[in-house]
Amino acid sequence: MIEFQFLDWFWVVLFLLVTVGLGVAFYRLGKRSESDFFLAGRELPWWLPASSVYATHTATDTPIWVTGVVYKYGVAGLWYTFFAAWCAISAFVSTRIFRRSLAYTQAEWNTIRFHGVGAEMLRGWISGWQVFMNMFILGWVGIAMGKVCEYLFGWDLWIGLVLFSSLCAIYVLAAGYWGVIMADFQQGIIAFLMIIIVSVWGIMAAGGPTVIADKLTTMGEAWRMNPFAFTGWFSGEFPVAWFITMMVIAVIGGFGMGTSIDWYVEAQRIQSAKSVRDASYSIWWGTALVLTRNSIWAAAVLAFYVMFPNITSQSTYEMGWFRLGFEYLPVGLIGFFFAAIIAIHISTIASHLNLGAMYFTRDLYLHYFKPKASEKELVWVGRVATLILLLGSFFYGLMMEDITSWLIFALWLMAAGVWLPNILQVVWWRFNAWGYLSAWIANLGISWLVVWILPHFNIIPSLPDYQQFWLLMLLGALIFLPVTFLTKPEPMEHLIKYYVQARPIGWWGPVKREAEKLGLLVHVELNNKEVKK
Amino acid sequence: MKYIKRDWKPGDADEWTKEDWITIIISPLCYILLMIGTVLSFLLNVLGFILLAVGIFLTWFMHWVIDPKLKVISNEYEKKQHEYLEKLERNARWEEIHG
Repeated sequence: MIEFQFLDWFWVVLFLLVTVGLGVAFYRLGKRSESDFFLAGRELPWWLPASSVYATHTATDTPIWVTGVVYKYGVAGLWYTFFAAWCAISAFVSTRIFRRSLAYTQAEWNTIRFHGVGAEMLRGWISGWQVFMNMFILGWVGIAMGKVCEYLFGWDLWIGLVLFSSLCAIYVLAAGYWGVIMADFQQGIIAFLMIIIVSVWGIMAAGGPTVIADKLTTMGEAWRMNPFAFTGWFSGEFPVAWFITMMVIAVIGGFGMGTSIDWYVEAQRIQSAKSVRDASYSIWWGTALVLTRNSIWAAAVLAFYVMFPNITSQSTYEMGWFRLGFEYLPVGLIGFFFAAIIAIHISTIASHLNLGAMYFTRDLYLHYFKPKASEKELVWVGRVATLILLLGSFFYGLMMEDITSWLIFALWLMAAGVWLPNILQVVWWRFNAWGYLSAWIANLGISWLVVWILPHFNIIPSLPDYQQFWLLMLLGALIFLPVTFLTKPEPMEHLIKYYVQARPIGWWGPVKREAEKLGLLVHVELNNKEVKK
Repeated sequence: MKYIKRDWKPGDADEWTKEDWITIIISPLCYILLMIGTVLSFLLNVLGFILLAVGIFLTWFMHWVIDPKLKVISNEYEKKQHEYLEKLERNARWEEIHG
């Protein structure tokens, strides 16, 4: 347990007043319309959603997770965090396409890209799943805060979970996405600053960079500084085959939409940017910050390893970076550090509260329950949905035990069977709603079979995660490809409208030719001539 | 004609061109170099500083390649955005059947 002094509590209270106050200050903007409450009116310059991308993906459990993989695998463990690099290509491909669609949510995008009953079924499914998923994420991030408070103050787990999520909900309820984005900007700065301070402090506490390198060499652990220290091509816990699989998933996944669960959060930031260019840069730079932040953490975790090399309990070494801050920072700065932890916590909570509420309001309430709802009513529905998500997250949070295993499993489950369909829906005109829907349904069944049920009954061996990915992708393709070819393509008229607006990359030749025949793309060329004049 | 095109017209900018593919290839490399370069630089490793410097240069180069195109795409698209938003609302409220 840590004992806080007056100065420590001063920082914490000051931070809470500023962050909640700043969020609430945008109440008038947030209540203007549905577009304001969920997308800040689509008027943001790139650096605001970029800071939100960074702040949202810096949660309380993130340093726990990064510390866990780096303590175990050394600097090479950073590749576990490299999944975020789907934004490398996405920023210039799927982000551009999605921003041009103007869809509020990925669920809505389905009715723009696809057509008819299949599209509506997809919209209903994705929106329902996202409402649940956001509640689930809120629970797992929330309980991580409960664990930090238990470690620091000896509080019961539920106190940290309920207290800080509820404080955050004040400004999300009041100002919606305006509150989220403005608080994220401020929280992102505080968090990044503190991550650097704590990490440098930890490195110096271990004797400095040179001493860390020397000690690792003396201990016979110099491999921990090698970013490519794998355990073999296919053998061991961390083989090259895993690395190649991860690179494929992360990098090629950028051509698709939804290849990472983070896409759904990023999609909101993309649509809140004021232009296509701003959307691209917000995603690229937000992720660049995420990756460099992980690197700073990794250096500090090596320092922690040098000081505490023989910890075998995962739950103990996962807290390593937090320990550097709380055990080595001077009085006063510890309170500032805790304020930064609250910042990284509530920035994530705020984003998922507003995102889950947007799926409920836009896709379920407006589209299916009450299409004639007024803007004022939609804002209020958004607030009620926010409150329901908050209460639901308490329930889920108290159900969770092991953060890391849930996180890795959830990431994996969502990435595997629908990874390829998520790309095909963007790059291939012939892929239709039924193919995509069948991929989702098949993935739900197949992933549980391959990961849990069949190994349990010794029908197949328990496969490493990277082998599970390829197997799930193959099994999924055996279902969604025949379904796609056995059902009709989307109507050409619908595809042409989508193509002209979104200008997707990939195999869209037949649609493009039809659009040109109809003169819909010639119009652009005429504009060119006008420009030339 | 320069290899990298930087004076875009609205019609050309909407097409996927080699400038996009150069960006698509360079962008993941930037992330790798920035990530590895940063951690090794924090450990005062010389290779880390070199990788970080290359990563920063490539990031600048990538923006130099793609930014003129993105600007033109954005400016042209903004002109049509209002019409598209109206259509989106009609669709969400079932006032326009898709297709």
